[in-house]
Amino acid sequence: MDVLHNLAFGFEHALTWQNLMFCAIGCTVGTLVGLLPGLGPLATISLLLPLTYSIPTGGALIMLAGIYYGAQYGDSVSAITMKIPHASSIVACIDGYQMTLKGKTGLALFTAGVSSFIGGSVAIIVLSWLAPSLGEVAFLFGPADYCALMLVGFVCVSFVTTGSLLNGLAMCLIGVLLGQIGTDVNSGTPRFTFDLAFLAEGVGLVSVALGCFGIAEITKNLDAREERTPFTGKIHLMPTWAEFKRIIPSALRGSAIGSFLGILPGGGPVIAQFAAYAVDKKFSKYKHEIGSGAIEGVAGQAAADEAAARTSFIPLMSIGIPENAVMALMMAAFIIKGIQPGPNMIKEHGDLFWGLVASMWVGNCFLLLLNVPLVRYWLSVFKIPYNVLFPSILFFCCIGTYSVNNNLDDIFVTAGFGLAGYVFMRLDMDPAPLMLGFILGPMLEENFRRAMLLSRGQFSAFVSRPISGTLLGLIALFVLWQLAVFLVQSRAKAAPVGDSQAKYT
Amino acid sequence: MNDRNLVRGLFLAALALAFGLGSLRYPIGTLSRAGPGLFPLLVSCLLFLIAVATIVRSRFVERLPLQFNLKNIALVLLALCGFSLVSRFVNMMAGIAFMVFVGTLAGTSYSWTRNLKISAGLIAVAFGFQKLLGLNLPLY
Repeated sequence: MDVLHNLAFGFEHALTWQNLMFCAIGCTVGTLVGLLPGLGPLATISLLLPLTYSIPTGGALIMLAGIYYGAQYGDSVSAITMKIPHASSIVACIDGYQMTLKGKTGLALFTAGVSSFIGGSVAIIVLSWLAPSLGEVAFLFGPADYCALMLVGFVCVSFVTTGSLLNGLAMCLIGVLLGQIGTDVNSGTPRFTFDLAFLAEGVGLVSVALGCFGIAEITKNLDAREERTPFTGKIHLMPTWAEFKRIIPSALRGSAIGSFLGILPGGGPVIAQFAAYAVDKKFSKYKHEIGSGAIEGVAGQAAADEAAARTSFIPLMSIGIPENAVMALMMAAFIIKGIQPGPNMIKEHGDLFWGLVASMWVGNCFLLLLNVPLVRYWLSVFKIPYNVLFPSILFFCCIGTYSVNNNLDDIFVTAGFGLAGYVFMRLDMDPAPLMLGFILGPMLEENFRRAMLLSRGQFSAFVSRPISGTLLGLIALFVLWQLAVFLVQSRAKAAPVGDSQAKYT
Repeated sequence: MNDRNLVRGLFLAALALAFGLGSLRYPIGTLSRAGPGLFPLLVSCLLFLIAVATIVRSRFVERLPLQFNLKNIALVLLALCGFSLVSRFVNMMAGIAFMVFVGTLAGTSYSWTRNLKISAGLIAVAFGFQKLLGLNLPLY
């Protein structure tokens, strides 16, 4: 009953006029950036971070969270109508777009909207039960365990987002190294600052995020020189009862899968969508239709997507370790507001935690309203030509960077990271792990130094503690598995050549 | 040299060396009492190992060509840096106009009238930020 009592307490906070407004702004902006190319949730949250300085803490966090899960909704709309996913709705392109081709766009959008609502609601229940109890576990963690947990996060995020462990880990480490720029908190020594005053406090988070995501993305779209054709088809939203009945089981399955995968390190919307889609393809009553525009192909993945987006808050708020790049940015937002996410947060700032959880459900209702009855108005956003859109995004990047410190020099840093982001993109290196490394880097160093101090310089502390030993063992197994996969693949490729040579000799 | 995987490995190695050699300039200390240079040195060593693995791996996988289109990124960066400089020496309204007129050179089509309209719209948004959200923008 405690949870119900706490949720009621949370709703008291979430349902004030002010917080309702911030929630509505967050959801609207989130849907918009989900629809538009060139600004994902990562860039938008970092863009709006400086604007939240003047907003009360609860409202700021509610708004930023709204942007994150709102963007997942908006993204699926552009994936279904035009087969263009920007952030994560890759799976929605498969059956969603097939339904559009069959003239069932309205049904697909309705399915995605309602399933996301179901997914979000299930995830909020999971979040409110699990986060406080997981917080108790976090008290068992020592510095070595935190280090190991962060490393597990690095490995999982690297593999999930880039598909290649080597590339992703490299980006994480570059992020950690970039996080080293600035003054060392233990000794006061300036590191890698080249005696430049503006680097003494380190590289700005907003500059890194906007450079690597905003500017690099704009240039990528400009290089592609694609003119988008806006969606002009008719939309008939209301499904028949028979169609509606097909949505529910698939959405519930997706919600369960998404809620679970969202909690794991490196988890999050993308992997949850794929898993839910695969499960539907195997177990759904209509599995033979999936792939050619079936309701189940849209419902399951949309529910999983939204559920995972919410449950990924659990590790951040209960243990204090973000599990993906967006959560790392959310952590930065908490810290800017003077709150350290972690096991103590729920006790010390109960109003914030439960207010945020309750606001997610309020946001869910807003998003259902925005994305189902009002969806046809959103589609007119696509009519804005890119030649008008990208100077506006550049403008927001400039204002966002400038207003962190009211310093015009910061724009040069953003431009520098824009160039770096472009080089990363051309070298096929995904900047998302870099962001995670950049934000967790200082924390990793602090915990590493503390663990080493406690063990008097013995590395065995990492292996002898049960939690860190298990986590590092998992990493070792994973690396060995990847190595084995690579060796088997390269041997399989080499074998046919060998066979053909044998034939000729 | 036109091999994306190889260039990536070399790029990573260069970064690892830059940070690794840089960290040697700071006191390393011992493992139990780490100096400011120890952690960056360890991380750079790890990154260097990954760089070597990437270079070795690039010999075994198919070559992918590397594509750079310098014009667009150069124009976008010029627009950003110009915005900063013009805002400092003239004012931010001129900075916004400069950014729009230079940035859109990278687009698929160019139109003076459209740029004027975009600039006017963005300047209006900037005034909105200044008056409503209280941002300290040196607009004039």
